[in-house]
Amino acid sequence: MKTTYLLLKYLAILLWSSFVALPFLWALTTSFKTANGVTGGATYIPWLQYKPSLEGWKVLVRTGGQGIDIVAPYISSAVVTLSASLISLALGTLAAYGLSRFTFRLGFIKNSDITFFFISQRIMPPIVLAIPFFLMLQFLGLLDTIAGLILVYVALLLPIATWVMVDFFNNVPRQIDEMAMIDGCNPIGAFLRVVLPNSLPGITVAGLFCIIFGWNDFFFAFTLTFTKTQLLPVAVVALNSSVTPWWSLSASALVSVAPLVIIAFFVERFLSSGNMAGAIR
Amino acid sequence: MLKFKYKHFFLLPGLIVLVAIIIFPLLFTIRVSFSSWDVVKPGLDWLGGKNYGRMFVDLRFWEALTRLSMMAVGSVLIQYVLGFGLALMVWRDVTLKRFVRVLFLVPMMTTPVIMSVIWRTILHESLGPANDIVQLFGFEPLTWLSTGGMAMVSVITVEVWQWTPFMFLLMLAGLLSLPNEPYMAAAIDGAGPFRTFFSVTFPLMAPISIGAILIRLIEASKLMETVYVLTSGGPGTATETSSYYIYIRGLRDYQIGYAASLSLTYLVIMIISLTIIAKVLTYKFARG
Amino acid sequence: MALILQNIDIRENGVAHLDNINLMFSRGGLYTVLGRTLAGKTTLLRTIAGLQQPQKGTLMLHGSDYLQLPVWKRRVAMVYQQFINYPHLNVLANVAFPLRRAGVPRAEAHQRAREVLGKVGLTDFEKRRPAALSGGQQQRVALARALVKRAEILLLDEPLVNLDYKLREQLREDFQNIFEGQDDAIVVYTTTEPAEAIQLGHQMIIMDEGGIIQQGEPLAVFNAPATIRCAEIINDPPMNIFYGTIENGDIQLQGGIQLKVPAHMAHLPHGPYRFGLRAADLRLGSMIGSQVELSEISGSQTILHLRGDIGTFILYEEGVYQHAIGDTVQVDLNSNRIYSFSVDGDLIAGPAAAEAYRR
Repeated sequence: MKTTYLLLKYLAILLWSSFVALPFLWALTTSFKTANGVTGGATYIPWLQYKPSLEGWKVLVRTGGQGIDIVAPYISSAVVTLSASLISLALGTLAAYGLSRFTFRLGFIKNSDITFFFISQRIMPPIVLAIPFFLMLQFLGLLDTIAGLILVYVALLLPIATWVMVDFFNNVPRQIDEMAMIDGCNPIGAFLRVVLPNSLPGITVAGLFCIIFGWNDFFFAFTLTFTKTQLLPVAVVALNSSVTPWWSLSASALVSVAPLVIIAFFVERFLSSGNMAGAIR
Repeated sequence: MLKFKYKHFFLLPGLIVLVAIIIFPLLFTIRVSFSSWDVVKPGLDWLGGKNYGRMFVDLRFWEALTRLSMMAVGSVLIQYVLGFGLALMVWRDVTLKRFVRVLFLVPMMTTPVIMSVIWRTILHESLGPANDIVQLFGFEPLTWLSTGGMAMVSVITVEVWQWTPFMFLLMLAGLLSLPNEPYMAAAIDGAGPFRTFFSVTFPLMAPISIGAILIRLIEASKLMETVYVLTSGGPGTATETSSYYIYIRGLRDYQIGYAASLSLTYLVIMIISLTIIAKVLTYKFARG
Repeated sequence: MALILQNIDIRENGVAHLDNINLMFSRGGLYTVLGRTLAGKTTLLRTIAGLQQPQKGTLMLHGSDYLQLPVWKRRVAMVYQQFINYPHLNVLANVAFPLRRAGVPRAEAHQRAREVLGKVGLTDFEKRRPAALSGGQQQRVALARALVKRAEILLLDEPLVNLDYKLREQLREDFQNIFEGQDDAIVVYTTTEPAEAIQLGHQMIIMDEGGIIQQGEPLAVFNAPATIRCAEIINDPPMNIFYGTIENGDIQLQGGIQLKVPAHMAHLPHGPYRFGLRAADLRLGSMIGSQVELSEISGSQTILHLRGDIGTFILYEEGVYQHAIGDTVQVDLNSNRIYSFSVDGDLIAGPAAAEAYRR
């Protein structure tokens, strides 16, 4: 009885693992195909079922009209994501510290209401904001620019950073702040010299969330950029037409998600080293 | 006006940025929804409630809402069951945990749209592996992307692939934080694995389950990107969600005024439904 | 020059955390504040430090308004009962921290820090992080950091309560030596243990429910508690209180026990009283019968919780005696040590000054 249960368990895990791996494996083998490997029906094993070629990958490095430029979108995505994440982390950590340590009262609005305001921004469907963002950026002359995107992304990532950090700061005992003030620090000094250095786990988690959400956004990049600026997800989706052959499509897709897969490994390391135990709840 | 206090220094920068970037556009949207701004006639005139009137009889909008609810609730429930199940299998098993955790973590960190691009090639009815696998199990090939019902299944499949890891991680963390005593008591009382699950594990995990489901529901209610890449809302309008329909009206047909009224109604409906769902779930499953 | 608190009030939801506090602390004074948990001792210290603002009252240091100064500008040092140190700094940096904040150059700050670390016996621990230290060592680091500032006001909030017994005794001795060296500072030390308060302070303040119920020189207060409540707080185990009257030259206790009126109470008029007697002033004997409710053996002493017609009371006996619950035990009272209080709880007459017992 015990062994059948164990067998079933491992079978289930195996099935699920295959399901998870399916898109990656398929994209991988498809990226080495050419027309004959695709048109007849699905093929899987190189050399046995199709003739492998590097065409799908060569296209990525070819310049001029024939190639797919994947480098420019990569850089644009990196610049926008990192800038917006840094700004959101800075503003969000400050706001979270304020909400955690001080009492605010504006009429009937208290701390918990303000915190809820920050967090509830996640409920907002992107489409509700897309139109006004479009008009706002047009008015500011920032449509189709990196700066415009950074501005919008800060609005998206700030709630995330604040949400993670408020919870984190609530778990840092206040006595540390008090001791710093008794020792001569004003509240800003206490924050910078004593609380921040002890907040690295929380900041790491918040930063990771910001980077992941920022990098993976499609909708806002799609509606707010056209030709001058192009972020990675938009670039790849633009290839999703019948014109682009599957092999270049797969290669582009793989190249785009590769860094995230690598980051996933590091995140898992970080998770299991127990650092996050206090940071996430 | 306000005496400079240290606490303002902390909160105000972030709060002002957020209010400026979100509240003003929101207020603007409300104003626009009462106008007839479109390609032909850009500008803010006053239409009164005409846009909202049009919305009430716009069947396509309400159908999109229904489809969205079905796909969102369906995929979140499947994610919950699978995620919880996988967490249960791995929870007490030390050797599996590490290997499995990395593997299970990966999908949720990848860019959803890009994975959808790959899925589109997988689900291709004649050239993709999906039907090969289906036939391997002895079934007829399925019309993944060309019939309405199956198209919904395809969207749900992709969502399940992408987000079950999220559920898995949350449920695993929850399981690992459960106290030991109830399990010892159950063992002493001679409860078998099923009894133990239904009487001990499931009730204890109720708060975490509810939280996880709510978070995923909030995200799933915005469903749009997967639909855009995989099916373009089709075939026909079979997988058209609210966000997708509003996108068509607003940024394709450029009927900004009307789209604004649609999106505000959509937002209000979402807030109300999610609040109701949250209250009902908490009341039914996590009392005391 | 002094620290003067006048009419300080802090109330929340109808509960008084500080109730009309009036205190004067002089330079060089060592004050202990004794009280039960939630008596307001911590609130008092936090108000002096600036971490809490009173709703009413004034706080003056050297004649100038202290309340206007924010925490970081007041020259106070504080030691918490939870060992608070900066986790991300090593011991030396921890102790040097306040000096660096005050602008003292690095070399000098580190040197002064080393001196103080020597005083608390932690010279070899400079490079370690607080997390790698034991509880007692962490508290000594906190103490060192408080001392290095040479602040005008040094506040210690039950600093020994989270340490084990042996450590507490040892650190108490160290405290006495350390405090002798703080000539100009005002030292305020709170505790729930009467023995500690009596041993360490020049002046003792008893707090209860947010208010001050007695203050004075420790032994004087011990020998003459102003009210029954003071007597309960300053004795451990708490002083026993018996109901009774003085009639016909005799003390009549509840339950029919009769005693001769002792010399120090001879002048008292007839009437109802409350009589107080320390647990140590009862002996196993033959006078009064009672039942054992609880028997504690602590070290080489026995503490018996007894119930008789006379009421419930506690007896403290040197030596180890085994008693089962329900046993009948005969007890003697030392009437020369009886305190008499009015029915309202105020002290009327007490025995001649006796030594405070030490444990």
